[in-house]
Amino acid sequence: MGSFLARRLGQMLLTMLFLTLGVFYLVNLEPNLRKLAISQTEMHATDQELESWLQKNGYRKPFLVRYATWLGLWPKLPNVDPATGAATARFSWCDEPAAPKFSGVVEGDFGCSTKFKVRVVEKLGPALEATGLLMFWVMVVMIPVALVVGVVSGMREGSRTDRTLSVISIATTSTPEYVSGVVLTIIFATWLGWLNGSAASATEGHLSFYNFTLPVVTVSIYGMGYVARMTRASMIEVMSAQYIRTARLKGLSFTAIVLKHALRNALIAPFTVIMLLFPWLLTGVVIVEVMFRYQGFGQTLVDAAGNNDIDLLLACSIVSVALVLATQLISDVGYAWLNPRIRVH
Amino acid sequence: MIKETLKNGFWRKSLGAWAAEAREGSIDRREFLALATIFGASTATAYGMLGLAVPTPAHADETPRKGGVLRVGMFVKDQKDPRSYDWPEMGNVARQFLDSLVTYTREYTFEPALLEKWDVNADATEYVLHVRPGVTWNNGDAFTADDVVFNINRWCDQSVAGNSMAARMAALIDPATKKAREGAITKVDDHTVKLSLKKPDITIIPGMTDYPGLVVHRDFEKDGKDLVKHPIGTGAFELVSFEVGKKAAFKRRTNGKWWGGESHLDGVEFIDYGPDISATVSAFESNELDCTMKTDAGYVAIMDKAGLIRSDVRTSATIVARTNVKQKPYDDQRVRNALQMAVDNATILSLGVDGHGTVAENFHVAPIHPEYAELPKKSRDIAGAKKLMTEAGQIDHEHELITSDEEWYKNTGDAIAAQLREAGFKVKRTVLPGSTFWNDWTKYPYSMTDWNMRPLGVQVLALAYRTGEAWNETAYSNPEFDAKLEKALAMPDPKDRKVIMKDLEQILQDSGIIIQPYWLTLYNHRTAAVMNYGMHPLYETHLERVWLKA
Repeated sequence: MGSFLARRLGQMLLTMLFLTLGVFYLVNLEPNLRKLAISQTEMHATDQELESWLQKNGYRKPFLVRYATWLGLWPKLPNVDPATGAATARFSWCDEPAAPKFSGVVEGDFGCSTKFKVRVVEKLGPALEATGLLMFWVMVVMIPVALVVGVVSGMREGSRTDRTLSVISIATTSTPEYVSGVVLTIIFATWLGWLNGSAASATEGHLSFYNFTLPVVTVSIYGMGYVARMTRASMIEVMSAQYIRTARLKGLSFTAIVLKHALRNALIAPFTVIMLLFPWLLTGVVIVEVMFRYQGFGQTLVDAAGNNDIDLLLACSIVSVALVLATQLISDVGYAWLNPRIRVH
Repeated sequence: MIKETLKNGFWRKSLGAWAAEAREGSIDRREFLALATIFGASTATAYGMLGLAVPTPAHADETPRKGGVLRVGMFVKDQKDPRSYDWPEMGNVARQFLDSLVTYTREYTFEPALLEKWDVNADATEYVLHVRPGVTWNNGDAFTADDVVFNINRWCDQSVAGNSMAARMAALIDPATKKAREGAITKVDDHTVKLSLKKPDITIIPGMTDYPGLVVHRDFEKDGKDLVKHPIGTGAFELVSFEVGKKAAFKRRTNGKWWGGESHLDGVEFIDYGPDISATVSAFESNELDCTMKTDAGYVAIMDKAGLIRSDVRTSATIVARTNVKQKPYDDQRVRNALQMAVDNATILSLGVDGHGTVAENFHVAPIHPEYAELPKKSRDIAGAKKLMTEAGQIDHEHELITSDEEWYKNTGDAIAAQLREAGFKVKRTVLPGSTFWNDWTKYPYSMTDWNMRPLGVQVLALAYRTGEAWNETAYSNPEFDAKLEKALAMPDPKDRKVIMKDLEQILQDSGIIIQPYWLTLYNHRTAAVMNYGMHPLYETHLERVWLKA
């Protein structure tokens, strides 16, 4: 078990290294650097002005040197005025050092967000917290409903209940969030006025039933149908297994069979799906967060990409890799717990 | 008061003469107001010379209520050095705690703000600025001539990347040093500053009113040019918190008094609901907003329907489909003229922005400009366009019209493309996201750009169509045009200027470099509780006198 975890951790670090190197290459393509320089100077700035900005702030140093600086394996250098020789911090708004210093990811410094004019951690921390909160409530709503719907329709395949629930599940899964979100907002916010069609105030620390229900429901119903279908398929398979028939023949009640014998075995497949939902949610919330103006990870990712905010984008990719691999780890360990025949080693 | 402001005989005489003309109707009343106030007459004086009272804003008879926090829907962009602002939204955040020397009003007049008044000599080469006494910064320092000198010097620094004020202050700058010319800015005493221009320029005062012209404290550079960390200002409010993309919050100034008295509002919040209008509508429905900073034309009907009150203002803000004359096939004037002839501007107005504006005539001077001269109206001529394009040998050329993805850009571009196709030209439409479109906005062969309003007609011509200007996206270069424009920029009397203007308009129209379909009318929306709040032609948000009904 110990070596399994160590291997997984090593794999995670290696993936991060390669992914960030890839992202670093992409954000440093010439048009992207230009975009950054424009946003940091002025929309109508001339080419020379843009070039001098890039030069001054170290964006023209060799690629690998800059990547190593970001990692923290090479010292971060301040801006030096060629005329006076005076060193000043590159970005005054994020307390960058005014003297050369090893300060990168390895040292725990994720850099400066050029779009939000704060340190990356100051922006990403609250954003992740906000998205975490959204994901938590999505899971709380989605998983129980999906499992109940899946189990109920799967335990009697082909019954009227099964057909009805299947239609509903398929309908919700096949409706993208940007459709269901708009439909729900029109019905519940504009027509009925029961709920709040914007979640902007939720990120301000005023989370309430009114401003949070619509985003949660919009994300939930999309994932719900999917998980329910998976659960149903798995349930059907289990219900037709030999040991269920044996239990039936022994005279056990239907309820006891479903709860004691079928359920645990039927949950293995949906468990994987649910675990895979976490990484999907992290990026899948982009649409919902933008639509409801909820300031979480998705919104941050959009803003960072739109403005070529280099350090923020790199930090976002680290978070994504960590989450994907962490959920995979949990699902591997979870398998072993749900199915004693599987061993983790 | 008139004697005081118009010490100089020439100005008294000519202003008096203009006033008489305005009364008789030979010059437009709006024209007179704009001009009189540029040259130092206050709005009240100017109206007085017309024999009119200053119009009072609606509901002025109601006693304003003190209190409440106004929540304004607006993009909260990241802050930078004011002189390099490129979005009015940046200015609007800073404007709550900073002031400008002179402000441009919703009535198209110039009002002194941090200046008490200013005098101009006969040929507009010398300006005397009188600094308003009794103004204090919110850190306790007194506002003096030193602050004014410091700011004008900053504006003149051409070596700073993205300093757009340098273009407005060109008459004070030494091209060799790229800084203010020796002796151009003189401190006479603690409350007087003298500007000596190297050539006549009537646009200096209007240039100071633009949003990059907000005045910062003399220690701004020392404090690291960071307005968020050091929000030192002279304005009516103080910055409480600032988060990009989220919210900027202000409270009524507590530290010392604002020179204009005291704001009615306890505080102001700018809240960012992003580019999707449905989020803003939802915000009104759930009572999270009181008003918008602006409402884009395409959304006016939606906001009207949501039960909000609309405010509108006519402007000389516009959009142009411009060709870059350095790129083939647009180096051929016949191609450019053919494109113009194939398009009916009135149709573009109704398709592009639902008719929220007035028709323009492809020469970028608006009827609300004081020096506007009328040219014969042109109408669409498909046959002529085809013939001209064939003559140029470009009838098979596929034109690529590039626009940003903003709704009105896209719609206007699509409408123009449709009209060109109707005339038998091949057109490909490319829509780029706003974030990438602006990377190369001056370089595209054929694309669309919006231009903000400027109070005088000569101003945009000088920025956009003069040889070698940074914003000259058409790469147009015509010595005759440049020379005439130079002359016009030194002509204070709009009647003289009109004559030259007619030539300039004609040259520009004939060159075919722009299809300029319409002038925009601007809108914003508010709930019934918001009083004394209206759309400003330059997207400025002035909230000192706004109040909220109980």
